[in-house]
Amino acid sequence: MASASRSRRKPSGDCIFASRPRPVGTHGKYKEAPDKHVNIIYDRRIVRGNTFGQLVVPTTAQADPAEIQRQQEIKRKAIAIKRAQEQCRAKTPEALQGRKHIDVQTDLYLEELSNIIVATDIESQTDAFLDRPASPLFIPAKLFDFDREVQPVLEVLVGKTIEQSLLEVMEEEELACLMAQQRAFHELRNIHLAEVQHLQEKERRHREEKERRIAQQEEVLEKERETAEKIAARAYTKQDLADLVPAAFTSLRSNGYFDDPVETDVETDFLPWLMDEVNSKLERRFTARQLLDNIIHDVAQKRLEQFKEPET
Amino acid sequence: MSRDTGAGPDPGRAPVAFGLRAVPRLFEELQQPGSGSRRRALASLCGLMLDPERLHQTVRGGFLEQLKVLLKDEDPSVRGETCKLLHLLSGHSVGREALLSSSLLPPLSQLLDDQSSSCRTNVHRVLNRLTLLPAGADALLSLVPKLMLKLKEEEEEEEVQVLLLSTLSCVSRLDALPALSSDGVSLVGHKLSHRSPNVRREAAAAMMALSVPEDGKRQVCEKAVLPVVVGLLQEEDVEIQANAAGVIMYTVIITAGKQQCLDLDVVPVLLRLLSNQRREEDEEAQRRRRRKALVVYTLRALTSLAEAPDGRRLLLEQLPLLERQSEATEEDQDIQRAAQTLVRAVTWTP
Repeated sequence: MASASRSRRKPSGDCIFASRPRPVGTHGKYKEAPDKHVNIIYDRRIVRGNTFGQLVVPTTAQADPAEIQRQQEIKRKAIAIKRAQEQCRAKTPEALQGRKHIDVQTDLYLEELSNIIVATDIESQTDAFLDRPASPLFIPAKLFDFDREVQPVLEVLVGKTIEQSLLEVMEEEELACLMAQQRAFHELRNIHLAEVQHLQEKERRHREEKERRIAQQEEVLEKERETAEKIAARAYTKQDLADLVPAAFTSLRSNGYFDDPVETDVETDFLPWLMDEVNSKLERRFTARQLLDNIIHDVAQKRLEQFKEPET
Repeated sequence: MSRDTGAGPDPGRAPVAFGLRAVPRLFEELQQPGSGSRRRALASLCGLMLDPERLHQTVRGGFLEQLKVLLKDEDPSVRGETCKLLHLLSGHSVGREALLSSSLLPPLSQLLDDQSSSCRTNVHRVLNRLTLLPAGADALLSLVPKLMLKLKEEEEEEEVQVLLLSTLSCVSRLDALPALSSDGVSLVGHKLSHRSPNVRREAAAAMMALSVPEDGKRQVCEKAVLPVVVGLLQEEDVEIQANAAGVIMYTVIITAGKQQCLDLDVVPVLLRLLSNQRREEDEEAQRRRRRKALVVYTLRALTSLAEAPDGRRLLLEQLPLLERQSEATEEDQDIQRAAQTLVRAVTWTP
């Protein structure tokens, strides 16, 4: 249910009319012939003069009962027509069970409907602490006493100067106070910070020392363990190897890798001597046989020669 | 109270409007390009800023952005006056916060290289005041390399060096790593032997802040700064002594530091400082408060040195003196606790 706005706005902010204003013409509705554009003053529809007399009910109005009845009838008819019109006008149906109708603005831009009118207050006032300009000296016919007159001026001057200087001194004091407070804070902070760092350092050193000692200890343990292992390994290997040598010898001997000294002896000494002896004996025999062969040959030769000689 | 003095007789200042219109009107005048009128307007503004109400109005009204243009003006006196204005602004906490939240820091830091020395001095003053806020120190962390470069230049005057070192020490307390990475230890160590005691004091404070992280301690040992620091222990000024003791306290936490300090024979010096303290018991409260830092730093340094065997041997001889320190008559809780820790450390057996 939005209210249609009649006045549109130009971009510059001025309003434009839906219908431009025109001077009232006298055309139209009434039976009289339309005149030219008449001055509004001479228009018969406008009341001139005192209008109070028209509001007073004329004394003869009560006389006519038919008139009153007619008016009452008119009123009743008007009410009946209005009621009929209202009933004919389509209303929105009632809300369903559990729902409620709400009024909603469906225009492009929502309007805020409120009865409160936005108002701002602006006030202006003269400075509260203005100096009151000195009142002009009023010198009636009396003598002018300078000392008495100058006193209030002097008081103001001196008072203001002292106030200002007090302000400045307080400012400097404030700054000095701030710096002193900072300094005290920093001293305390330094003290505690130094303690904290010192303890941290001590802690770090202790921790490092502990770690170093632990590492050392571990090294020692490691070395001991290694030594024990080495000893065990050595004992075991010794035991193992103790058997090794005879076994090796036995196997070598059984494989014939070893020289039997008797055999060697026999081989190296006896047999060559034997061979030599055999050789020499055989040589002697051979020599003997050869000699014998030679003798036989010689004998045979001689016999042959002897044989041959007698023949000749 | 309104401080609307019309600056009639002073031709160096612009006329000041009445009431609340003073500051806005002066800022409007500042926007005009003439340098003479700008100077006058700035002078009047400096006068006005002494009033906290006006200062509040300036800060809240967001006029600070206009000052950015002025910081780049050609006239050096305009720049100097703007810096003075910022210096006055940073005297108040609202001013400091506004300075931080506006983007005035980059142009301000460019002015560190300005030709006029008064401009540079004022910039240093502003930066120093900014460190009163922890957020300020945070914002200045990015400026640290540039400040270290400034430290290298020798011809700066004493006040600038003091301010610079003080700013550096505040920032390094927050985070010392940027300063350390820009070779801070050697630069600050150089300043430790400056002729002016103020510079020495601030340099020792900066060195203490630099030696807090581990890297700093190592650099302090490597760069042979410790002899100078031990020399500072024997000075007159309590603050210098306290700062030097602080440097030693932090450095002896690492083993190399312990070794160097024992080589330099620092234990008798520290013990002498402690016994001085005992003797001058009846000082007023403020001086005792300042000595308190010195005493506690010394005790902590001795505690660390007691971890080394040589140090412990030396301290065992002095055990009665130390035990006297930790008596219940000592009023200050911190000193008592520190002395007890020291005694415990000296008499510790594994």
